[in-house]
Amino acid sequence: MTVAAGIGYALIALGPSLSLFVAVISKKPFLILTVLSSTLLWLISLIVLSGIWRAFLPLKSTTWWPFALLIISSVGFQEGLRVLFWKVYKRLEDTLDAFADRVGKPRLFLTDKMQIALAGGLGHGVAHAVFFCLSLLTPAFGPATFYVDRCPQMPFFLISAIIALAFVTIHTFSMVIAFNGYAEGNTTDQYFVPVVHLVAGMVVKSAFARCFCLLSQKFSLLRILFLIVLKNCQLSPETALVVFVWLNVLCHACSF
Amino acid sequence: MKAMAVRPLLLFFFFAQVRLSFSGELSSMESIPDLQESMYMVVDGYPCVRLLNLSGKIGCSNPGREKVVASIRRFRNANDLTQLTAVLVSLDELQDLLHRSIHICFRISNDVSFHKNIVGVLVESGAEIRDKLKGFSPTQKFPQAEFAPYPSINYEWNSMGSGIMLKAYDFPVFLLSESSTSMLQEVADKNEKVMNGYTTSVAEFDLVMQTTKAGTHDSESCLKEQTCLPLGGYSVWSSLPPINMSLSYQSKPIILLVASMDSASFFRDKSLGADSPISGLLSLLAAVDALSRVDGWNDLNKQLVFLVLTGEAWGYLGSRRFLHELDMQSDGVSGLNSSLIEMVSSAVNDALDALKRAQDSLKSENIEVLSSNSSNPGIPPSSLMAFLKKNSLTSGIVLEDFDTAFTNKFYHSHLDDMANINSSAVVAAASLIARSLYILASDNNDMHSSVLGAINVNTSLVEELMGCLLSCKPGLSCEMVKNYIAPANVCPSHYVGVVIGEPSFKPYLGYVDDVSRFVWNFLADRTSTPKENASSSCSKDCTNEDEVCIRAEINGKGVCVISTTRYVPAYSTRLMFESGIWNVLPPNSSDSMGSVDPVWTESNWNTIGLRVYTIQNGAYDHFILIGGITVTILAYFMIALARSLITKALKRD
Repeated sequence: MTVAAGIGYALIALGPSLSLFVAVISKKPFLILTVLSSTLLWLISLIVLSGIWRAFLPLKSTTWWPFALLIISSVGFQEGLRVLFWKVYKRLEDTLDAFADRVGKPRLFLTDKMQIALAGGLGHGVAHAVFFCLSLLTPAFGPATFYVDRCPQMPFFLISAIIALAFVTIHTFSMVIAFNGYAEGNTTDQYFVPVVHLVAGMVVKSAFARCFCLLSQKFSLLRILFLIVLKNCQLSPETALVVFVWLNVLCHACSF
Repeated sequence: MKAMAVRPLLLFFFFAQVRLSFSGELSSMESIPDLQESMYMVVDGYPCVRLLNLSGKIGCSNPGREKVVASIRRFRNANDLTQLTAVLVSLDELQDLLHRSIHICFRISNDVSFHKNIVGVLVESGAEIRDKLKGFSPTQKFPQAEFAPYPSINYEWNSMGSGIMLKAYDFPVFLLSESSTSMLQEVADKNEKVMNGYTTSVAEFDLVMQTTKAGTHDSESCLKEQTCLPLGGYSVWSSLPPINMSLSYQSKPIILLVASMDSASFFRDKSLGADSPISGLLSLLAAVDALSRVDGWNDLNKQLVFLVLTGEAWGYLGSRRFLHELDMQSDGVSGLNSSLIEMVSSAVNDALDALKRAQDSLKSENIEVLSSNSSNPGIPPSSLMAFLKKNSLTSGIVLEDFDTAFTNKFYHSHLDDMANINSSAVVAAASLIARSLYILASDNNDMHSSVLGAINVNTSLVEELMGCLLSCKPGLSCEMVKNYIAPANVCPSHYVGVVIGEPSFKPYLGYVDDVSRFVWNFLADRTSTPKENASSSCSKDCTNEDEVCIRAEINGKGVCVISTTRYVPAYSTRLMFESGIWNVLPPNSSDSMGSVDPVWTESNWNTIGLRVYTIQNGAYDHFILIGGITVTILAYFMIALARSLITKALKRD
């Protein structure tokens, strides 16, 4: 691969988040701040996790349970941090509302709250993509490519970029669903997000066992997530159908 | 927000779909550098480098300043090459390929395109290759014919000679080790199968030579620009018994036993030269060892001097420089007077008689000494040619294991290794030489046979030396060598190398190669006389002029011994080192060999390496880039669409 391919992989992983940033986040400075602080928070969480697990890695085990333990503990830690994030957000929301009341401006709308949640989720997704994909991309700018034995159809960097893309999307929308769930006290939504995160993590672990299976599963998750989000937003059936169709096309195009 | 009944169903859908199969992790890689290392496979190969002489260049080099990258194919499958290729050839195919690339101008056009696409050559190695070949010798049919003291320069001493070593090639050629050969054969076969896929395995040759970069294409210009260094090394001479320096003049006639310790090969780092010349060196060392156990050298009429020369394969550098320094009466050869080297016309007959007597005394051992065939034009290529050119009255004998032509089928090639010689033949030659020398030195016609019978060569010493000097296991890390020096490399290589720094009689030992240092220490140890007082330890030089410090490189083991063993630099008589630069001297009428000397130099280089990795099609890379851009732009539009839909939906609510 060359510089062109390296940039291509970086764009595959982070292009949509860049688009989201430009289209939605950049319009409001508060959202930019939210993205930055969220990215920082989740990067720190990943660093802390890797610091704790460094003592036990590499896991040269042929049994599955050490890996399961690794994933479950990491996901559990991150979900706990998400609850904390929510509590901080709640306090921030109260502060902002109080300030708005004082100056006689309207309080936060539903769309504002969802945008803040989206920005938080985007921060989480970007942190994941940077930590798990971008850091691996340096060799991709050199002349050689790399294929993993278990997935000889696509280069390793392409797989890692596509997985990062999927995770960015999952994290972005999970935050919206989670905040919605915490706000309304909807336990299904509250439990839905950690479960999806865990499942996605497990699927990635088994990724190199079956290349395409992974990708189609990834995008099935994606598809279903979108459905949930849209249903929560109560869009009209027609728009939901349009988006659903788009997602299917994307999914099939990717699992060639 | 309404709770949807479908959500629990979706959850079950997930669990049903997902298969929790944990597999062992793909890599034992722990970091990005590990990933980088597994992407690029470093291949151990022996390069062919760029050498220059006064009229041009020989050897191989990358054509420019860049590394050469080409996909790997086997030569026999590469009939129609459309892209740049690195061909994997076996040794018999190599000669054919190189001959064709030399005669390119005279060939028809489709061959030209074929050869334009071959940008790198990888040569296989393996035991079966050696068995298949009758012989392989990349040098001339009469090596160094221009130095012969007789006019028949067309005589074929080396019938297997092809001359490919002495031509210039503008592409890199590497010899692979056995393990790399099988690995690259697999890679080439895989390339063959996936010919139109997205990926191909390529070899990256880094053989960029400084003379190519600087545009200096002959010795004189490259020495001036300091982009090359002259070939040369350090010869060793030792006297038995040690010369007493306090005597104002030396009067004993000298018998000189000469051997050479350097060889040449198409591939620079794989010149073993087992049959030619190391078998001679081994015989000399074993003979010295046998003679060192004899007493009473001071009472004999003549003096023995053992001379181990280097640089003989590249214009008789060692012998010419030695004779030059003798004429100059330099410090390094003090104690030797060129007039003392036997010029007596009857000396040859005396030597032949001595050999016959020695042969008789060894009767039990199937050894035969014969005069050479009268149809030979003269002496075979050897250091004696330099002595004869200096003074045609010099009496000398060349002892060889062939008669009318070389029996060594792998002369000056990388295949002239330990399998090409026989230790019992070396032991036989050594015994013959030792006893003949004793007979010549004692000048005594009625010597008791028991005296001769006591001179015996140590067979295990010969075998140990063979293992040290001709193989990588144990190589130079064998006990015998490590007893004397701290070797820089484990695998021995008998290429003469280049002269680093200023040549001197007391050189900085880091600039002297391992074999020279070992021979110096070995000869100094064997020819030393025991001291009356206790030996003093030393680390560099000894206070007494008659003493030298052996084993200096081993910590705490250096001792001063009484011995006359010196280094003599070996480099062309046409070169002079002055204020940091090498100058080429004009030809001198008194130096007939110097006027035909090519003055060999070796180009400098930064690094030499060979890597193999997989690359993708250029088209694939651009596809990825376009894919990334498309994903980004598509996402932007979807988000804009979603935003407008949501705004509309909210307005409706």
